[in-house]
Amino acid sequence: MDLVDLIAEKRFVGQEFLTWLWFKSEQRGGSVELPGVGDIIVVFEKHMLLEYGEGETNEKCICSGLQSELQEARTGLLMGKKLEQARIQLVQGDYEYNFTLSGALMEFRNVKLPKTAGTEQDDSNNPEEAEGMILERIFLFEELVRIVNELLRIFLETRTSEGWRDELDKIRQWIHGPSESTGA
Amino acid sequence: MGFLSGSASFVRFSVEGELPENALDFIADRVIAFSFRDIDDTFDEYSIGWVSVLNMFDSQFKYASYAAGDYITLTLRVDERKVSPAILKKFVAKEEERVKQEKQVPKLGRSLKVEIKERVRTELMRKAIPVPTTYELCWSLSDSTLTFFTTNKKAHTVLEDFFQESFNLMLRQQIPYVVGETLLNEEQAARLAMINPEVLV
Repeated sequence: MDLVDLIAEKRFVGQEFLTWLWFKSEQRGGSVELPGVGDIIVVFEKHMLLEYGEGETNEKCICSGLQSELQEARTGLLMGKKLEQARIQLVQGDYEYNFTLSGALMEFRNVKLPKTAGTEQDDSNNPEEAEGMILERIFLFEELVRIVNELLRIFLETRTSEGWRDELDKIRQWIHGPSESTGA
Repeated sequence: MGFLSGSASFVRFSVEGELPENALDFIADRVIAFSFRDIDDTFDEYSIGWVSVLNMFDSQFKYASYAAGDYITLTLRVDERKVSPAILKKFVAKEEERVKQEKQVPKLGRSLKVEIKERVRTELMRKAIPVPTTYELCWSLSDSTLTFFTTNKKAHTVLEDFFQESFNLMLRQQIPYVVGETLLNEEQAARLAMINPEVLV
């Protein structure tokens, strides 16, 4: 299939992934288990864009707010919207990333890399040090992509397995759960 | 921006097609052949080419400065002369008025108007200073993937075309479905092709 058609037809894969990741992060208070690595921290924060429908029926809803419970976004989920973009904090070991991930096209926006000695200094005048700095930044970018891909793999393995029905039940409970229990 | 400092925005591509056996020599030749040519002192309207990620005035890449380990890091630089429509409109009107006075006619013919507009546009274009735009990329030779540091869709198309012209290699954007195909085994990938959007409520 042509990439243009794939982008349109498989748009939902990335959006379901993001929605699932939000559920996954809340299920255990912000930690998600990566097989072979252990727990990493995935926190959804500040900014979200939800989307519903395609073409003329397409509807978007932007929610943002520092330290907010993102109630509007949760209501959006209840209305059948899926997450299209989210600001995420991801911590693995000593590395903390902040980035916005868009679901449909998998764009990484405003990525803040972990602070390290190498990336904090401006060594661009010395060719050897410049190469070291470049390699360090490449490593950090690749590491982020690797972790996100690993999360995507876990989602898709579940999504294409028999276990998806159970997972879906849990996601539905989560979507319906918080607002009902708080009586909002 | 953002590859070397500050916060970055990027998308990923897979690089499709085979590099020749002496890949590094081939890349070295092509990078230089398609390096950026300055148009500040010419009247060209558009120029596109590769420059160093560290310095947009370095298009000679002494000591193969685009190579970092197993990665090729390049900046795609596009310089373009542009004339803002408002400025063009102003100078065309001015020139039309002058020609009317000169010829002592109340109105100008259509063909003359077209000619004036074209002449004024060329003159203004020559005076315009080329506006540079730069986009960084990082190409992993071992993975055949490329990280392109902008989410501007028009820039993606420019990159895809220019990358193919430079290296005879195709770029394919890594959307979740396409990445998924590479992450899953054959059986799972076949099931992935069959799934439909799920109602999550």
